[in-house]
Amino acid sequence: MTRRQFYTGVISLAVAGVIFILPFVFVLLTAVKTKQDAALLTFSWPVEWHFLDNLTEVLRTRNYMLLLAYFNSTVITVCSVTLLVLFGAMVGYVLQRRPSGWNKVIYAFVLAGLMIPPAVVPTIWILQSVGLFKTLTGMVFIQVAYGLAFSVLLFRSFIATIPRDLDEAAIIDGAKPWQIFFRVILPLLKPVTVTVIVVQSISIFNDFTNPLYYLPGRENVTVQLTLYNFQGQFQTQFNLLFMNILLVTIPPLIVFVFFNRQIVAGMTAGAVKG
Amino acid sequence: MAKVVLENIRKSFGSLDVIKGIDLAVEDGEFCVFVGPSGCGKSTLLRMISGLETSSDGRMLIGDRDVTHAEPSQRGIAMVFQSYALYPHLTVRDNIGFGLSLAGRPKAEIAAKVEKTAETLQLTHLLDRKPKALSGGQRQRVAIGRAIIRDPKVFLFDEPLSNLDAALRSQMRMELTDLHARLGATMIYVTHDQVEAMTMADKIVVLNAGRVEQVGSPMELYNRPASPFVAGFIGSPKMNLYEGAIAAAEGCTTYGIRPEHLSMSTSEGKWKGTIRHIERLGADTVLYLDQPDLMSIVVRVPGDAELALRQEIFVTPVPGKEHRF
Amino acid sequence: MIVQKSPYPYWFVMPAAVVFSVLFLAPTLASLWFSLTRWDLFSAQFIGLENYRQFLREPFLIQGLINTVIYAFATSATKSVFGLLLAVLLTSGIWAQGFLRAVIFFPVLVSTIGVGITFSVLMHPTNGVINVALSAIGIPGPGWLTDPALALYSIILVDFWKGLGLATLIYIAGLASISPDYYEAARIDGATRTQMFFRVTVPLVRPATVTVVTLSLIGGLRSFDLIWAMTRGGPGFSSDVLASVIYKQYQAGFYGLSTAGNVILFLLIGLIILPMTAWFNRKEVDL
Ligand SMILES: Nc1ncnc2c1ncn2[C@@H]1O[C@H](COP(=O)(O)OP(=O)(O)OP(=O)(O)O)[C@@H](O)[C@H]1O
Ligand SMILES: [Mg+2]
Repeated sequence: MTRRQFYTGVISLAVAGVIFILPFVFVLLTAVKTKQDAALLTFSWPVEWHFLDNLTEVLRTRNYMLLLAYFNSTVITVCSVTLLVLFGAMVGYVLQRRPSGWNKVIYAFVLAGLMIPPAVVPTIWILQSVGLFKTLTGMVFIQVAYGLAFSVLLFRSFIATIPRDLDEAAIIDGAKPWQIFFRVILPLLKPVTVTVIVVQSISIFNDFTNPLYYLPGRENVTVQLTLYNFQGQFQTQFNLLFMNILLVTIPPLIVFVFFNRQIVAGMTAGAVKG
Repeated sequence: MAKVVLENIRKSFGSLDVIKGIDLAVEDGEFCVFVGPSGCGKSTLLRMISGLETSSDGRMLIGDRDVTHAEPSQRGIAMVFQSYALYPHLTVRDNIGFGLSLAGRPKAEIAAKVEKTAETLQLTHLLDRKPKALSGGQRQRVAIGRAIIRDPKVFLFDEPLSNLDAALRSQMRMELTDLHARLGATMIYVTHDQVEAMTMADKIVVLNAGRVEQVGSPMELYNRPASPFVAGFIGSPKMNLYEGAIAAAEGCTTYGIRPEHLSMSTSEGKWKGTIRHIERLGADTVLYLDQPDLMSIVVRVPGDAELALRQEIFVTPVPGKEHRF
Repeated sequence: MIVQKSPYPYWFVMPAAVVFSVLFLAPTLASLWFSLTRWDLFSAQFIGLENYRQFLREPFLIQGLINTVIYAFATSATKSVFGLLLAVLLTSGIWAQGFLRAVIFFPVLVSTIGVGITFSVLMHPTNGVINVALSAIGIPGPGWLTDPALALYSIILVDFWKGLGLATLIYIAGLASISPDYYEAARIDGATRTQMFFRVTVPLVRPATVTVVTLSLIGGLRSFDLIWAMTRGGPGFSSDVLASVIYKQYQAGFYGLSTAGNVILFLLIGLIILPMTAWFNRKEVDL
C-alpha cells in the first residue's frame, strides 16, 4: 500500500465516520439517556446511563406490545421466506429447464412483479373476500406474491449452472420429477438459497408499507408498525423511541455480520450482465 | 440379459431430421459400438434407447419387450455419461446407492449391494468421499458402479473415456472389456474414436448423417468396408481414396488402398513418388508422397527403413488388398 | 409425435402462480376497473374518468405527481454518480477499504422507519444536531423539514444517504468484472487517470449503471415509508408523492380515487422505465 492509499483511506474513513456512523452513535446514546436528557436532542454523553430501565420500559409499553410485534414479525418472515425459497426454486427450475411458449409469459409476469406497484385497495378487497385481511396468513401470502419475482430470477440463473446430465442420471436411476427436484437439485441450490433467505428476510422484516395496509389492528402489529406507532406516543420520550429504533436495528446488524457475502451476492445480481 | 432391436427408428427436432430410419439388432451379451463423425446422431440414438429422448417414429424392443413408450427407469438400462454426472452433494456411497434409495429399498440391502459393487470396482476406500475429491479415473469408476448396481440388462455409454488422458484411457478400455466379459451384459458404447471401436467392439455400427452406413465386426469393417465412407473412417492412418481418372482406370468410381497395403521399393513399382514428409512412430514409419497422378499417397513402412526427405521411391498395392467401390 | 411426460412438470409452477395471480395480478387488473368507480369496498358505482379528472384538477395531487418525478430522478442521479465514484475509490486499494464498504452499506439494511425518525430528530430546526453543528461554525441552519420549499429535498438527501451503499456495491461488482487488460492497454496508449475513467470505466461498467438507474428509479417512484416517517407529506402537501397521496385517499375512504392514483403510478413507472430499458438495450455493446 502506498502512502497515498493510506492517507486517502484515513480521510475517507473520517468522512464516512461522520456521515454514516455518527447517526448510529446518536441513536445509541439517546437510547440510554434519561427522558430529560434525551429531550434536548443533543449529541452528548449521557448524564446517566439508563440502558436497562429504558429497555424494560419500552418492552412493557402497551402491555408488551413490542414482544408481540417481534413474535409476529418473526412468524411472517420465517413463513414467507420458506415459501419464497420453495416456490422461487420450483418456478426457476421449470423456467430454466423446460423452454416453451409459456416462458415468455412467465418472464413478463416476473418483470411485472418487479416493476408494478401493488394495487393496494383492490388487494384489500380480495383479501377480505377470501378472509385473509388482517391475518398473519394473509400477510405471509402477500410477502410471497411480492417477493416471488426476485427469488425466481436468482434461482433461475443459478440453476442454469447445474448440468442437465444430473437430472438425466436421476431419471435413469428412476427418480420421479419431484424426487429429481427435492433430492438432486434443491440440495445443490444451497448458496443461492442462503442469499435469497438473507436478502428476503431483511426486506420482509423491515417492511412497513404492506403491514400498514394489510395488517391493521393492535393484535397484529409488526416491529416496524410499533416503531411508527411509538413515534406518535413517545413525542416527549425520545429515549424510549430511540431504544426502540436500536432494538429494530439489531437483527439486521447481526445478519449483516454473519452473512455479508451472501447479501452482497444477492443485491448485486444483475450488475455484471444487466 | 437382453437383445436390443430397433425398427425404423426416426427422430426429428422440429424440422431437423437427425435420425433417419434405423434398423438394428444388438445381440444379447454383445459389445456394440456406435461410431461416426461429430453430429451424425450417435448420442441422440443412444439417448433414444435410454428413453431420455422420445422416438418420433418406429419401434424399440429390449429383451423382446416393446419399450418404445417406456420410461427410462422401466427399460432395464443403465447409462454412463461423458461428464459422469455424479451427484456433487452425495458421497460415493450415496451416489452408487441413489437409485436403490429412490426405489425405497431397505437400508441394509442398499449398504450390502453398494459394498459389493464397490469391491468389484476397487472403490471401497473411496466410499465416503464426495465426487469433488476424486480423480478422473475414479469418478469414471463410480459412474460405472452406479450403473452396475442397478443390475441392468443393457449398459449405455456415451463417450465415457473422452475426459481422460491417453494412459488412463487405454487402462479403462481394458477394464471395460474385462467388465463386459465378467457381467456378460449387453453394452452399447458411443465413441468417435475408432481405436476404441476397433479394440472393444464385438460389433461396430458406423453411422453417417442419421443413417447406418455399415454394421459388422471390427475386422469385417476393416477388410470389407461397404462404402468409401466406412473405408475412410476405419483404420489409421486413413485409407488412400481416389476418384476420377485413376478410379476409372481401375474400373470403379472410387479406388482405395490402405497405407499398410502398399509395398515399397527403391527401384521399381506401380507408382513413383517423392517423399514430402516423414512421421516416425517407432515401430512404423508413415510416409507422405507427392505423386503427379495421384497427388498424394500415404504409405506405412517398417520403422527401420532408411529414408530421407525428397527421396524418390516406388510403391505397389499388395494384390487382393485393393478396394473398388 | 409421441408425447411423453416431462420431468419438469408445470404443477411445480402452480402454487406460486396461484398466489401471484390472486394477490398480485388480479388486484392489478381489478384496479383498472375500480379506478373508474366511486367505491366503498361493498359497492362500486361507475363514474367514468372522474377520478382521473379530479387527480389532474386538484393542485395538491398534481404536486404529488411532480414531487414523485423529482424524487425519483434526484435519488437515481445522485446514487448513480456518487455510487460510481465511491466504487472506484473503494476498489483502488485504499486503507480500510473493506471496513469502509461495510460502513457505507449498512444503512441499506436498516429499517427505513428507524432512519426516517432518526433523521427527523437530527434535522430538527432549532435543537437538531445538524443545525446546532452548523451554527457552531456560523452558518444558520435551514428548517430542513419545516420549510415547504426544502422538505422534499431533505428527504431526498436521507434517501440518498440510505441507498448510496447499494449503488456503490453494485458498481463494485460491475468494476470487478472489467478485465484489467483494458486498463493496461489504455496505460500503454498513454491515457491519464481521468481519461481512463471516462473512456474505459464508464462505458464498460454500463450493465451496473443500468441496474443502479433502473432499481433506484423504480424504488424512487414507489417510495413511501421514508417520506411517511419524516414528514407525512408535509408541511402542507409540499413533500407529498403519489404513494403518500394513495395512502391518504385510502385513509379518507376515497377508495376509487386512491386506486386511480395507483393506476397513475403504474402508468408513470411504465412510461419512464420501458422506454429507458428499450434505449439501454438498443445501445448494448457486445463485448
Ligand atoms: N435437443 C436438440 N434440439 C435440436 N437439435 C439437436 C438436439 N440434440 C441434438 N441435436 C442435433 O442433432 C444432431 C446430432 O446430435 P448428436 O448429439 O446425436 O451428435 P453426436 O453424433 O453425438 O456428435 P458428437 O460426436 O459431437 O457428440 C446434431 O446436428 C445436433 O445439433
Ligand atoms: Mg455425442
